[in-house]
Amino acid sequence: MRLTVPVLLLIVLVAAGSAPAAQTSNATLNASINSAARLSLSSAALTFPDADPDTSPSIQAAQGPITVTAKARTSPNGTVTLTVRATDELRSGLNTIPASNITWVASGAGFTNGTLSATTAQPIATWSGSGERTGAHTFFFRNLWSYATGTYTLTMVYTLSAA
Amino acid sequence: MKKAVWSGVIAAAVVLLGSSSAFAQQTAGASIAVTAHVDAKAKLSLSLATIDWPDADPDVVTVFTSAPVTVDVKARTSAGGNVTVTVLASGDLTSGTDTIPVNTLTWTAGGSGFAANGANDKTTAQTLGTWTNSGNHSGSQTLSLPNLWSYRTGVYTVTLNYTLTAP
Repeated sequence: MRLTVPVLLLIVLVAAGSAPAAQTSNATLNASINSAARLSLSSAALTFPDADPDTSPSIQAAQGPITVTAKARTSPNGTVTLTVRATDELRSGLNTIPASNITWVASGAGFTNGTLSATTAQPIATWSGSGERTGAHTFFFRNLWSYATGTYTLTMVYTLSAA
Repeated sequence: MKKAVWSGVIAAAVVLLGSSSAFAQQTAGASIAVTAHVDAKAKLSLSLATIDWPDADPDVVTVFTSAPVTVDVKARTSAGGNVTVTVLASGDLTSGTDTIPVNTLTWTAGGSGFAANGANDKTTAQTLGTWTNSGNHSGSQTLSLPNLWSYRTGVYTVTLNYTLTAP
């Protein structure tokens, strides 16, 4: 009886030691990366000062180059486009100057020069795939003697699209 | 087996839906307020600053005639604003105490908006051209003075002052 008890205990311990020491389980990691677009401009206003049309046939905006930062997440090789459209012609009361008298010169990869339009959105830049891009465009106003005097305004609306 | 196939179809549909929403077109916008200042201004230029008629026999040269003077007018004014060029003589043609009436110094002009002809005056500015609205205008003016035997000898001078007005 004294010998019997230690033997049984030993058997139990050995049996426990022979059981599996590791287990496996699966964990699923989901990272959702949806399409997104973000656009920022360095200035919310653009001013063209008055000038003599003979000495300044083209007036550069007082703010200098406008820096554009476009961030986009899109599908692989998806198209990212940035456009601008004027809400109206340049208007001072009843007097108007065509928005097309505003042009820009662009710098930065993907950015292009262009002419403003109040009827059709004009491309400013096009890229492929996701990323963050920065460029600049400098605006110019065609300065003619034929304009009626006044303070003319319009709003330029930028749209960044990531398909 | 049939159940397994349907599960597979559902799973694929879920994947496709997930893919579609993940790559849906996204847009972002911003705007810039643009202001262009167009102020009133006027600019007048004449192609000649001096007209000098040499002496001539009145029987041979009955009228002194200048070369055409090109008159360039540039003006920015309000919509419907009147743009006017006038000429006012500083006095009669004068040589010492001798004079020739300045209203005998006449002109003919060509160009849209220019008065076809006129006579200078020392008291009332005479209209050389009128236009409406902003713009560029160009014309020519030719001055003439009769060459009469009655004139006393001398070198007669007068200054013609041109004024462009654009309100």
